[in-house]
Amino acid sequence: MSTNLVLIIALPLLGAFLLPVLMRSSMAIALWSGPAILIYGCWIIADLWLSGFAQPLSVAIGGFAPPLGINLYVDSLALLFAFAVQLLGLVFWPFTLDQESARRQSLMLLLVAASTGLALSGDLFNLYVFYELAAVATFGLASASGSGAAYVATLRYLILSGIGSVLTLFGIALIYSQTGTLNLAHLAQLAPEQLHNSLGLTAFLAILIGIGVKAELFPVNTWVPEIYATASTRLSAFLAGLLSKLALLIILRLLLLIFHQPEAAQVILILGILGVISGELAAWRAREMKRMLAFSSIGQLGMIFIAMALPDGKGMLAVLALSLHHLIIKSGLFMLAEDWGGALERLRGSAKASPLGAVLFVLFSLSLVGMPPLPGFWAKFVLITELAAQVEPLYLLGLAVFLLATVVEASYLFRVAATLYGSPAQDTLSEEIPKTKGLSLLTASLFGAGVIAVALLIAPVGDGLQAIAAQALDVDLYITTVSPAVSGGSQ
Amino acid sequence: MISAVTPELILHITAIGLIAIGLAGVVLSSHLFRMVLALVIAEAGANLMLVLAGYRWDAVAPILTSRAEPAAMVDPVPQALVLTAIVIGVGIQALAVSILIRIRQRYATLDRKEAAERMDAEIAATLGAPRDISQEAPLGERPLPPLPADQINMRGDSP
Amino acid sequence: MGSLTGLLFAGGLGFMLLAVASGLDFGAPPMLIGTEIQAHAPQQTGAANIVTSVVLGYRAIDTLGELSILFASAVSAGLVLGRRHTTAGTQTKGGFILQSGGSLLFPLMMTIGFYIIFHGHLTPGGGFQGGVILAAAFFLPLLARPGARLHHKSLSLIEGFAGASFILIGLFAMLEGKAFLQPMLIQDTLGQLVSAGTLPLLYLAVGLKVGAELASLLSRLIQTEAPQ
Repeated sequence: MSTNLVLIIALPLLGAFLLPVLMRSSMAIALWSGPAILIYGCWIIADLWLSGFAQPLSVAIGGFAPPLGINLYVDSLALLFAFAVQLLGLVFWPFTLDQESARRQSLMLLLVAASTGLALSGDLFNLYVFYELAAVATFGLASASGSGAAYVATLRYLILSGIGSVLTLFGIALIYSQTGTLNLAHLAQLAPEQLHNSLGLTAFLAILIGIGVKAELFPVNTWVPEIYATASTRLSAFLAGLLSKLALLIILRLLLLIFHQPEAAQVILILGILGVISGELAAWRAREMKRMLAFSSIGQLGMIFIAMALPDGKGMLAVLALSLHHLIIKSGLFMLAEDWGGALERLRGSAKASPLGAVLFVLFSLSLVGMPPLPGFWAKFVLITELAAQVEPLYLLGLAVFLLATVVEASYLFRVAATLYGSPAQDTLSEEIPKTKGLSLLTASLFGAGVIAVALLIAPVGDGLQAIAAQALDVDLYITTVSPAVSGGSQ
Repeated sequence: MISAVTPELILHITAIGLIAIGLAGVVLSSHLFRMVLALVIAEAGANLMLVLAGYRWDAVAPILTSRAEPAAMVDPVPQALVLTAIVIGVGIQALAVSILIRIRQRYATLDRKEAAERMDAEIAATLGAPRDISQEAPLGERPLPPLPADQINMRGDSP
Repeated sequence: MGSLTGLLFAGGLGFMLLAVASGLDFGAPPMLIGTEIQAHAPQQTGAANIVTSVVLGYRAIDTLGELSILFASAVSAGLVLGRRHTTAGTQTKGGFILQSGGSLLFPLMMTIGFYIIFHGHLTPGGGFQGGVILAAAFFLPLLARPGARLHHKSLSLIEGFAGASFILIGLFAMLEGKAFLQPMLIQDTLGQLVSAGTLPLLYLAVGLKVGAELASLLSRLIQTEAPQ
């Protein structure tokens, strides 16, 4: 049963390898094989979930017991994200048909496989490999729009990401020379004696900066506005919505399992605060849709980093809630931006032309800001209560920045909403007003329906998240699941 | 801690020196191709660091030559990891070079600043918005006229 | 000024990292999983080359990921450089020595490449190293005759099927009730050419894929660079 899980990584890779060949012989089969693989992936996960999934699993790849071989660690958190990967892969599938669709679709499958691997893998170096795979697939998809700006943006992203991978590799080398193992559970056992020192901290910082490139962490996020402005909106939505969360998930796992030192948390807190400030201010200054969304996503991820820095895993629930909330909202907003990209000023009066799009935009904005009945309020509320309970001044500073950022957020989002509902300038013809339409509006409505559903079912969703957070926080459970021979756990 | 210049010190200095030189090169060079090359240097340093992680003075390569009790062997895992890391690096470099070729064809320059400026201008043009940071004009309140179609479509592979 | 700060930054970073790394016990690594793998690898995978056991056995999914990365970058390069190639018939050809040297070396390099691939489980080398030599074998005649072309269609066929067979071998193990990518058919012939079960097959797939991918990448680059 559980061994089937490896198929959700293997099948997309198989599909990606064969797609260019298949597409030459039979277009129809090739076109449907990608979505079929993703649907099958969804089914595998749903099946596992419905057949009474309670305890985390460890799937040893190649049949080698974990500290020697590589294992997939499957708890409800990992399973949730793996499911989100398959689902969003399907939602953002590049359906457009042209000469390059074989290449684009096979890159998309590679991206999905890599993201699934990031969610599930339990081995440090294996995570690095999947991270690089996701990066390379992203480069290809980002440069696919074929403009000169896209090429320069992709190259700059590639170089930044290359610096990140050098640092990650360096961190892995430090950890391996200190401990002699790469398995996360094994490392979690050894960490209290061997890695809670300056060497461990250096390794963590190197890996944090390296993985932080994808998680839009403060100093290494210069690629965000460039890529989101030049790449296709669907790719931007996937990157901002999902891939950043997966990078975040890795950092979270490392922090919980291996590096739970106060210094590590403090670094994350400071970088998170800086990220919130820089992101929200830049978003406030931005004068066009895609860049505004890009900067706002930097700010949002900064908030999640602040939550992550709370001591003793108190922020776990907030991290989870904010991540999932941002995933849904940002994907929806990016889908709206597919037709509404460009200068915000151009959107004046669009609400008349596309009422549904405007309503969705207002819904997403309200939830992002944190209006009470909507899920965004609960996510932010959890974080605020946890932050307010802290006594250290740095956390209170984080709280202050967080509240201020919410005000800034409200101001720029409602400015856009006001533009949408304003009357169009007199000299513009009605054809010039961009309308949301077709597939992108449909997708955005799906996300909007998701927001409303969560708002209605907030109690069960909250309980579910609490259970997931509790399970993810349990380090001993992780260790005993992966290597049952060792009893007793880490402490 | 370090009393004399020992071989291990030299090896570690080499590895970390390569990383530092590479990172400095990425930060300092004004040419995009040199940035890619600097990245290659830094990657070599990281790979060296990784392979040093499993090295032993008194050991042989991890290959069994007879069924007898084997001699002490170096750690095989970092060697496998480095193999993986090198191939990953090669893939990324190849992609970087092909992107460089395209940038040169489009912009006729590989200067870092010039390319970045051209990119900003092109993004601003395609999005129909004034640039975020502009010395001449204040942050845009003026609506720009819609662009002619041939300018929006920048794809234009050379005919 | 900016360059000075950059230099200072890099120097300081290097010094800091060095100070940290000097705390490491060099030359006597802990080898926690290393010794375990050395002890078990001959029985579990049957390969004399323990690095091969790690690459294709213990960390096989890393290798799969790495193949995918190479594939992703080849596909992306194809996407970036496009299908249209300049007609390269007008270019100056290499001289007699270059051309005949290229054709002479071609079979030799193919032989060495395949030798290294097939002995990956016994001697240093394997699919990646052999694959690179195969790619070089195809690339050499291309350098001698810039007008010549590689057959991209067949290259991408090899690419696709070699990668697919790596995964299919892994899935086949699942059909037999074992784990994904678990080594199978291990004979008790450690150190001989026919040993290590499915590992040489995996290495053959790796070698063909790497060779085809690098060859198509290089030829794509050389064709795009041709002056118009």
